[in-house]
Amino acid sequence: MAALPRLFGADAPRPGKHTWRHSLTRWLFIGISLTFLVAVLIAPLLTVFAMALAHGIGVWLHAFSDPDTLAAIRLTLLTAAVVVPLNTIFGLAAAWCIAKFEFRAKSMLITLIDLPLAVSPVVAGLVFVLLFGLNGWFGAWLQEHSISVIFALPGILLATMFVTFPYVARELIPLMQQLGNDEEEAAITLGAGGWLTFFRVTLPKIRWGLVYGVILCNARAMGEFGAVSVVSGHIRGLTNTMPLQIEILYNEYNFVGAFTVASLLTALAALTLLVKSGIDRAGYRRR
Amino acid sequence: MSITLDQVTKHYGGAPVVNDVSLDIGDGEFFVLLGPSGSGKSTLLRAIAGLTGIDHGRISLHGRDVTHVSARKRGVGLVFQNYALFRHMTVAENIEFALRVRRMRARRRRERRAELLRLVALEGMDERMPGQLSGGQQQRVAVARALAHKPEVLLLDEPFGALDAKIREELRRTIRQVQRELGITTVLVTHDQEEAFAMADRIGIMNLGRLLEVGAPHDLYTRPQTRFVATFLGAANLLLARRTADGIQAGAATLPTAERAAGEREHEVVAVVRPEEIELAPQRAQLTSGYLTQGMVDEVTFTGSLERLRVLPQSDSGGTLLADADGEARAMLHVTRSQYEQLGFAVQPGQTVAIGVRRLHVLPTPLSSFTACAADEAGAEALGRQPFLAELAARMKTRIALRVEPLWDSGAPARGADHGFVGITVLAAQPDGARHARWLLDRGATDVLLLPHEARAPQRVLIHWTQPSARAATLAAAASLLRHVAAEAVYLGIQPRRDDGAQPQGMRALLDARAEAQAAHGLDMRTELRVGDAAQELLRRLAEAPGQMLILGIGAAADCDGSLQPLLTGARWPVLLVRR
Repeated sequence: MAALPRLFGADAPRPGKHTWRHSLTRWLFIGISLTFLVAVLIAPLLTVFAMALAHGIGVWLHAFSDPDTLAAIRLTLLTAAVVVPLNTIFGLAAAWCIAKFEFRAKSMLITLIDLPLAVSPVVAGLVFVLLFGLNGWFGAWLQEHSISVIFALPGILLATMFVTFPYVARELIPLMQQLGNDEEEAAITLGAGGWLTFFRVTLPKIRWGLVYGVILCNARAMGEFGAVSVVSGHIRGLTNTMPLQIEILYNEYNFVGAFTVASLLTALAALTLLVKSGIDRAGYRRR
Repeated sequence: MSITLDQVTKHYGGAPVVNDVSLDIGDGEFFVLLGPSGSGKSTLLRAIAGLTGIDHGRISLHGRDVTHVSARKRGVGLVFQNYALFRHMTVAENIEFALRVRRMRARRRRERRAELLRLVALEGMDERMPGQLSGGQQQRVAVARALAHKPEVLLLDEPFGALDAKIREELRRTIRQVQRELGITTVLVTHDQEEAFAMADRIGIMNLGRLLEVGAPHDLYTRPQTRFVATFLGAANLLLARRTADGIQAGAATLPTAERAAGEREHEVVAVVRPEEIELAPQRAQLTSGYLTQGMVDEVTFTGSLERLRVLPQSDSGGTLLADADGEARAMLHVTRSQYEQLGFAVQPGQTVAIGVRRLHVLPTPLSSFTACAADEAGAEALGRQPFLAELAARMKTRIALRVEPLWDSGAPARGADHGFVGITVLAAQPDGARHARWLLDRGATDVLLLPHEARAPQRVLIHWTQPSARAATLAAAASLLRHVAAEAVYLGIQPRRDDGAQPQGMRALLDARAEAQAAHGLDMRTELRVGDAAQELLRRLAEAPGQMLILGIGAAADCDGSLQPLLTGARWPVLLVRR
């Protein structure tokens, strides 16, 4: 047995030991990843900002004075402001009941929550047109009461809500299942009621997962194109969100305008991701 | 009484996980619920805490009925196996949680917190986060948190499960000390018998959802009432012996026992011999205790303070070894010897030794062993392999003997009373099962089990006796059987229909029967009162649902010929006949 270490010698590749083969593999993989990252992600993003600022900062700023663009920005922010809180409440409720209770339709509910991720956004938009459009199931009734859903704000909200439905719930379900019920039960035996237990024990316990889910939900809500495109009707200054406005401007060869709005949307997304990674780090430290 | 449980039952998906548990726990008592995993002990603890609802029964804390009171209003402190500390709060915030909920002033909270931290020896840890503490320290915090609101009852659910041995012992001592200091009634759930012995004032042993026995650790160890407790608490050798007029006859030895029931006729019993109660010597003459048999030493293991041996008894000895602590088929006597004994007589594997028994304890169970009885050998063997019977024998750690009785078809007359039927004689239930049962009863069998071919473990066991004289024996047999079967026990009291409309006396008999079952055997049974013909009512009840079994007490062999005959024919349900 004593001969064995000598036989293999000190140069034998061992886990945790730096050898030339080990470092070659490492650099190869880092190289591949970086190349992909630059080609697929960073270059296009830089192009967005380069094109937007191609004619100087003045032109870039001027593009924001377009009332239609401003309306699109306002609509996008409004949509996110309505949809994100609603989906947060839904996500919490769904995750709560899936993690805490045993019931028959549980696996079906989990599958249903995933449905919007699987269905193409265009189909999601079409569903709402079929339901609430002029020839849809509720179309006649809605017209009688002069309520407009399709080609108006309610339609956009519904479509966005549908598409961003799973994000909060998906984030919370595994987290809550993993954390279990013990802390809540302890709180109850200590005399805490339902709301107190929720706000003092459950919510702090899941807060990082919740914030993470909300951020993903928000990013998607602001960037959604397909479903919103179907239901919005592309009415300038009224039902155009930022992604739709970008497309229209682009199709009109208004490249500076298109890229200006695009750069703002990208910046919002980047900001979201920055907040998220900051939270990641904070959450990691706390654990 | 601090905690009173009255017939607490909890079903989970149809099967009872807590089955008819009644228990009184006194003020300031340290009570340990001990049982294997899945025995229902944790469920029972959660039911006391109010975290799990119960289907039947009542729970009282300090005389207050809390069966329908929510967990937050029961005023109990609960400690979980995995601590369940609020991980986003500091130690101080954790401990003060219950006080904050009760809106106690900050200054009073601080005082109470300091007091509690001193109690669990964690002074100065106030501002730590739970993640910065070791497992033992976290559990101390959990104990302090559970005690903060001065609960009347402290409940501990396997609190040492996640800790290593040394810390476990230290924490055990802390908890016992805290409990004594506060004089708080405490219930601890564990599967570790050493832990139970070390901490308990009284232990309650659970298996299959039933509370089998309750008692002081020493009493339970030296005088267990059931096979399960005998083998679960420490190691036990189970022997088949005979109770004679002189004492207990096991092998060549007849041991006088203090626990004697006068006026009983000779019969088979199950005896418990602890490994430390066995003596080994080179020759029979050198034994200081009663000689059991010769044996060959199979294995010797040195464990420090004790020596553990496994000895194979000679097969031609009179006493039958039923099962050793491991429940292996090739039954070995387990022996432990002190160093002092080792010095006196050193043994090697392979050596032949004389085995003596210093003390044995007879289990009060009337069900000692099974004898599968059929007209031919193949039939007896098939019956011995019947799944329900095999499972029952394994659970009772007893054996199934085979016996061929070709005579019963010839209708030969009974010659004498005793044909050497011991224990429970098992018959395949056939269309003429009643005749075969009668044949056996005529020849001295006392307990006859009629077993349909496809019988499974029953969900419900109906108990009835036709003669008041059979009551005690039927109850004892039922209690013994039900300790090994997770089934609901129902006593059917049946009154003959009276035309004059007079109030039947049945209720009184019913309550007496229940009281006796509870007091003498710790068996909780439901009772139902029926009016009509006994056989008709039993038939009706048995036909209601599948998965039922009948335990029927009769006074004489002739009883099973008359109106009871339909119950025994047709092979639809297992019937245990008890004749006294």
